[in-house]
Amino acid sequence: MTNFYPVVALLGLAISLISVFRKSPFFNFIGIQITVYGLLKSAALIMPPLPGQVITMYMAMSVFAFLIYFSIQEETFRAFLEPMRAVLADRDKRILRVVLVFILIPLLAGYIAYAKTKPSFEPPVSARIVHPEPPQQIDFRGKTIKILGLENPLRKDTEKLKDYIEEGKKIYYQNCFFCHGDDLDGKGHFAQAFNPPPLPFRGTDTIAQLPESFVFWRIAKGWRGLPPGSAPWDSAMPAFEDFLSEEEIWKVILFIYEASGNKPRTWE
Amino acid sequence: MTVLILIVLGILLSPFNGFAQDDTGKRIYNQWCAQCHGYEGDGEGYAKEFTFPKPRDFSLGTFKFRTTPSGDPPTDEDIIRSIRNGNPGTSMPAWKRFSDEEVKALVEYIKEFAPDVFEFEPEPIKIENAPPATEEIIKKGKELFRVAKCVECHGQHGRGNGKKAWRDDFKDDWGYRIDPANYTYPWELRNGSSLKDIYRTITTGLSGTPMTSYQDSLSDEERWALAHFIKSLQVERRLGISLRLKKVESIPESTDDPQWESLDWLDLPMAGQIIFEPRHFTPTITNVRVRGLYTEDKVAIMLEWVDKKPNKGDDGMPPDGIRLQFPSKIPDGSERPYFYMGDRRHPVNLWVWNAADNLGKEYIAKGPDTVYSQQKQDVKAVGVYDDGLYRVIFVRSINTGDSEDIVFETGRFIPFAVTVYDGRLQEQGNKGVISAWYYIMLEPSTPLRVFVLPPAVSLMVFFAGFLLHKRLSRKADA
Repeated sequence: MTNFYPVVALLGLAISLISVFRKSPFFNFIGIQITVYGLLKSAALIMPPLPGQVITMYMAMSVFAFLIYFSIQEETFRAFLEPMRAVLADRDKRILRVVLVFILIPLLAGYIAYAKTKPSFEPPVSARIVHPEPPQQIDFRGKTIKILGLENPLRKDTEKLKDYIEEGKKIYYQNCFFCHGDDLDGKGHFAQAFNPPPLPFRGTDTIAQLPESFVFWRIAKGWRGLPPGSAPWDSAMPAFEDFLSEEEIWKVILFIYEASGNKPRTWE
Repeated sequence: MTVLILIVLGILLSPFNGFAQDDTGKRIYNQWCAQCHGYEGDGEGYAKEFTFPKPRDFSLGTFKFRTTPSGDPPTDEDIIRSIRNGNPGTSMPAWKRFSDEEVKALVEYIKEFAPDVFEFEPEPIKIENAPPATEEIIKKGKELFRVAKCVECHGQHGRGNGKKAWRDDFKDDWGYRIDPANYTYPWELRNGSSLKDIYRTITTGLSGTPMTSYQDSLSDEERWALAHFIKSLQVERRLGISLRLKKVESIPESTDDPQWESLDWLDLPMAGQIIFEPRHFTPTITNVRVRGLYTEDKVAIMLEWVDKKPNKGDDGMPPDGIRLQFPSKIPDGSERPYFYMGDRRHPVNLWVWNAADNLGKEYIAKGPDTVYSQQKQDVKAVGVYDDGLYRVIFVRSINTGDSEDIVFETGRFIPFAVTVYDGRLQEQGNKGVISAWYYIMLEPSTPLRVFVLPPAVSLMVFFAGFLLHKRLSRKADA
């Protein structure tokens, strides 16, 4: 759809150029406005699309500016108004007048009025923070764990790392994969029932961006540890301190990084 | 120098040599299949007790999903189809990430778990000449559905609720409980839900299960007719986040009133409750359909779901039931009660129905451990089980006057959630099947200005144009 707008801009430019040669400021004006609109919409090709309100604002400025431009010289302004006058007054423009002024424009105005007065109802959209600020420390079944600077204690034990990852795999497929998926892609067989959908671990924009301590906090505290900005009331993430030990959580963290091919962010 | 170049070349080419390829299947299997199917291919993986249906045991060489005659091993393409498409309604996902070569290597490795079975080269059936869907062929299929005794397991409407399946000895070759397929929910059909998938299942049967092959007992034409009928039973699933209720004169009291059929609906995908003990990993109810309407002073919501065996609570199992949840009051901002049973600061209303007493009860919950019955009971409910399908209607006043009850203001999006219980699976309390928050909105009648303003604006613009025309043409004449 966005590919269609540069064509609109070119069409507007063509109308504008032809109008210059035919000395018709009115159609020149129309062509310029179409060009501006097409260009503003085309911006979506190289950057995030401009919001509707911004486009409306720029269009209003463009209309205003070119109206001033065309009305500075009396000669030009008269020529500019000529097509409108002709449609309204000339005898030989009767059919065009009936179609345009007496039918199409009133219908269009009626439609705009309808679109503005018709009540529209949209369900509330709740924006949520996906990676909230973790707390300094948490209480894990009565034990205080400092989150800041915390590292996975099992990662240092390189000799047993392989076993830990295998144990983490078992924990994952008995506790997590229903939602986060067999392939750690967030598409487990329960995922569709929950909103927000479970996070994928595969890819570079979730756990790859986070230190393991953050992941530990999210697993241990689940939905009830989320700040209000992250909509804890919607999250189906269990607080795994209810089901898993500290060591089991570290093991499953080892597994999800290993299996998704990601590396945790470090504190440096 | 030459030696060095040869070594480098050897390293570079190593992924292409035969030895490395032999390892691919095993490597992928151990990393991405063994968690369910077991390192020995015996179906004894970590997730076995946490899934229903259970992971396939490859060591017997018995495969459900084939294009080959009953008793024969599957073709490589059959196994590839299961890997690539997954098995809907189970924990087997569609594995798209691996290359065709990797999947081929994987298939070779899976076949090694039952080498004797795969010594034999199977002859696949041909799936061709599918006739077009006509009323006639569907009618013929319906008749065959009865004659071929499909009804015994799958039920009149194909909801998988046939009485034969209620028997304790209705099991697969491994001795595990098995459910006949519910044809009406395409998202649950393990072997795929297209016409050809259905034809294939009927023709080859599902080895290791009570679903036998109909290749010999029905003609090709008859099997296509049957497939067409079964395909015609599939419902349209409407997913979304909100449902709009229309205002009517009176609420239809019976669950089979045609007025319910004329309403829009919202389908809620369901999942086991896995947040609080006891966590429930193997539910079989996958969907609850919601419809609703309202009158001047009452709101009615009908919930509909497939349950393959009714439980009234008189057989030692808990009764089937359903629970509708609303916040105690419409949330002002985005903050609302916890989606499952609310929380201490945000109570929820629970409207509860179960098959044992068939009436509506009202509770307040402030979390899963804090539930109390309300003094004043305002909810009425009536439910009917008909051929595999539960339909329950809840009715309550729009405003009960009770400060703990939600007031159904028109034009507001009101959160609701559902929990459903299947007694056959011992579901009760926190062991239930739950949904996320969704919204209902009582659609206000269209305000008068919508009908008045647009024609008025049209007329005004018309007259403005007309007057300008008059004035300018007079000037031109003069």
